[in-house]
Amino acid sequence: MPDSVQRTAAFILSGYALYIPANIFPIMTVSRFGQGEPHTIIGGIVALVESDMLPIALLVLVASILVPLLKLLGITLLLFCAHFRWQINARLWTRLYRVIAFVGRWSMLDIFMISILVGLVDLGGVASVIAGPAATAFAAVVVLTMMAAKMFDPRLLWDYQR
Amino acid sequence: MRRINLDACPECDVLLNRAFPVMGEKAHCPRCGYLLQRPRRHSIERTFALSVSGLILMMPANLMPLISIKIFGNSNDGSLWSGVVMLIKDDMWIVAALVFLSSMLFPVLTIILSLLISGHLFFDKPNPNLAVWMRWLQHLDEWAMLEVYMLGIIVACVKLSSLAELKFGFGLYAFVALLMVAVTLSSGLDHYQFWQRINDMQKQQA
Repeated sequence: MPDSVQRTAAFILSGYALYIPANIFPIMTVSRFGQGEPHTIIGGIVALVESDMLPIALLVLVASILVPLLKLLGITLLLFCAHFRWQINARLWTRLYRVIAFVGRWSMLDIFMISILVGLVDLGGVASVIAGPAATAFAAVVVLTMMAAKMFDPRLLWDYQR
Repeated sequence: MRRINLDACPECDVLLNRAFPVMGEKAHCPRCGYLLQRPRRHSIERTFALSVSGLILMMPANLMPLISIKIFGNSNDGSLWSGVVMLIKDDMWIVAALVFLSSMLFPVLTIILSLLISGHLFFDKPNPNLAVWMRWLQHLDEWAMLEVYMLGIIVACVKLSSLAELKFGFGLYAFVALLMVAVTLSSGLDHYQFWQRINDMQKQQA
């Protein structure tokens, strides 16, 4: 992969930038009888916990908060390692890379869930769900981190090991 | 010219003598542990058969209602496609495009590509595009996310179960079947064997 470090860095920086709006703005608005309540990602998880659906809440917490954040941090670490030629246990770090590349897709969970809710709950005045601005930002974070993982060349972890 | 038969590990680029694992064995890279080869029985025939069934399931899974809800006498049903349409109506173009690509277009394309490749290999018809298709298949496989969509359906159902009455539609059964086909398809495809066959075919042509 040519310019692997630069490309990965570009994607990962854009990912960090969009991670902020993805978490502050509402990801969807649920309105019932004309009254809308906007939900952020965290708000949606809190709502799930309050209605006693802890396992699902944990699932969403892992997929939409922890995985994107750990991915951003993990790829940053990999980048530092490749750039500063750290002496590391390359086998272990390759495993880290593989985990990051594998879990990335599961963050799309929230986006798909919104797509289903938006298509399904469309009952005019009674109830409706509208996607919010954070959905775009969050979708972008998922795609950008997946691209970053794809651009990173794991060979770099091996090249400078003595 | 002396030809050397060496494999390079796709992940860490170490050069290796070719491994010849038999059925049921796996070949890992000795340096980084990458799974190099995993021979599959009847991989070409299986891929061919599964991609035909995937194509049949594609239409009902994408267009027929997955779930229907009922709140105070008002009812509505949703399919994969209706979610995308509603997102476009709400001016969420980027999200709509991403959902459309990763849950509808890319899965269809991976199935069509698998059908094309395995069909050509099955009937022993050389084609100069085989290597290109194979490369596209490897790229697209990562962006087709039916299994994540399934989890999205489950979470959405749990969220709605307290508010509304839910009913599963025929589309959901088709979707689950399609998901199983897609997963067995991608795990049963023996990349090493496919590439080897493509290589042999091109050599015969030349």
